Amino acid sequence: MERLWTMLIRTMVCLPLLSGLAAGVDAQVDVVKGRHSFGVSGFSGDAAIAGQVTDVLKNDLRLSGYFALAPVGSAEYVQSGTVRGDRNGIVVECIVMQQATKRVALSKAYQGSAQDVRRVVHKLSDEIVQAIAGQRGIAETKVAFVWAHNGAKELAVMDYDGYNVRQLTYDRSISVRPRWSPDGRKVVYTSYKNVFPDVLEVDLYTGQRRRLASYPGLNSGAAFSPDGLSIALTLSKDGNPELYTMNAEGTDLRRLTHTHAGESSPTWSPDGQTIAYVSDESGVPQIWQINRDGGSPLRLTVSPSYNTEPDWSRPPANSDMKPMLAVTSRVAGKFQIGVYEKGSGVVTPVVADGTDNEDPSWAPDGRHLIFTKTVHWHSQLYLLDVVTGEQVQLPSLEGGASEPAWGP
Amino acid sequence: MSSRLLARTILIGIITAVISTGCHHGNGVVASHQPTGPGSETSVQGIGGPGESGVGARPLVGGEGLPEHGQFPAVLFDYDSARIRPSEESKLEAVAAYLKANPGKLIIEGHCDERGTAEYNRALGERRAIAARDELVKLGADTSRMSTISYGKDRPVDPGHDEAAWAKNRRCEFVVVGQ
Repeated sequence: MERLWTMLIRTMVCLPLLSGLAAGVDAQVDVVKGRHSFGVSGFSGDAAIAGQVTDVLKNDLRLSGYFALAPVGSAEYVQSGTVRGDRNGIVVECIVMQQATKRVALSKAYQGSAQDVRRVVHKLSDEIVQAIAGQRGIAETKVAFVWAHNGAKELAVMDYDGYNVRQLTYDRSISVRPRWSPDGRKVVYTSYKNVFPDVLEVDLYTGQRRRLASYPGLNSGAAFSPDGLSIALTLSKDGNPELYTMNAEGTDLRRLTHTHAGESSPTWSPDGQTIAYVSDESGVPQIWQINRDGGSPLRLTVSPSYNTEPDWSRPPANSDMKPMLAVTSRVAGKFQIGVYEKGSGVVTPVVADGTDNEDPSWAPDGRHLIFTKTVHWHSQLYLLDVVTGEQVQLPSLEGGASEPAWGP
Repeated sequence: MSSRLLARTILIGIITAVISTGCHHGNGVVASHQPTGPGSETSVQGIGGPGESGVGARPLVGGEGLPEHGQFPAVLFDYDSARIRPSEESKLEAVAAYLKANPGKLIIEGHCDERGTAEYNRALGERRAIAARDELVKLGADTSRMSTISYGKDRPVDPGHDEAAWAKNRRCEFVVVGQ
């Protein structure tokens, strides 16, 4: 409980700083970054609930990347609304209007339990993004990550904005590298609970855990295929860390690579036909690609001299974003996040600020990344909008957070 | 290993793990590792509720607290390399000689410094452990008595952030169980 309060207080300190980013934006459309100016006039009704709803809505709209918060008088879009709340639940009514045309972009009521205020507002925010930008929002998504505290690494899940942290494991061991099933129901991860690193799966609905791979040596790096039917992973049972696939039940194991180097960190291409991964076959770690059925590997990245942690984005069909491969590079002794575009061989840095930045994971919109930033050996999670280039720190967690995986 | 010895190994393992909860490495539950594929895991402890401790629960850092870890000096590696340096050969010869003269199983732990990304280091640590194991086999050790564990960069022996610390952290450690 104390930890939760620390988190809340830290967040409250951060919020004025964050909203300060939008100050001074008077233009109706931010031409450079393609953002609509948006005025939040707030909600009438129960003051305590209205204040929370307004704060969450502002934060969601800003994080979406499609809006610049602006004074109501000069904004392209304005919001108004009411909230009602009692012990049985809350009702949030919201109207969003394009001021110049008086066109109503959205007019809707949202209901939820009293504990669900944030979830209700996240739904409203995503519908505003859909109504105005015509794109899928991220406000209702979740993130799995590794929470280092009490001398252990435990798995946890939270909302995309860093709230509602729920610890999944209490093993007091090492639980790392979570990855989601495409339906958002399961998370696979590497667990040292039984001493050796095994691949486990946790069902988020039932809490049931099962062991999917526990061969001799290393079992790690599990990643679901886009159809959810297959899992790629690293095993060392045949004498060297190599890539394998198996079905989602952990059977029908197939070996993909045959090298004297180490293969790790598989990520499936958006069409599910190929797998990108790390290999140091060339002497330094680089990103390679192999067909899901095996065959000859193809080297994707050439420079810089250290590229790891590939993660393919899967933007929705109607998205403005193209599929991209995020990587962690090591340049001048620092980790930085880069993006590899298909066919180019080149990695373009997107987070290279002199701190250590690792573990990039794409949001389902193919536009936002979550990653780990380490400053003075303390790791916290950040969001990046690759279109605007803006980074936002999530509420900090005692201990430290790393290896985030953005849910579907 | 005889069945009596195996039973004793498991017993020692359980005792060690229980005692060591909250202190250093409890390295005793090795016998429970089955080299199998999928299996059912009914444990739901910890999901949505606090507090599980017991067998298998181990803190992250440490290792110097129990005699098993200090029994052999760590074999050290170059940056981003799993090659056994000639200078480390004699350390492996001592381990191989011990295995020939004594019963028990050997766990080879592969570790990395912090200058690699997490999952890449898990693969690198495993390659270090495998390189040490393969060298021990060449020196006459029985491969069926050895297991590898890669901890990547999760268990540095030196918490520092300089070359002196990194050099100590790029290592393989050897733990004898069931002696």
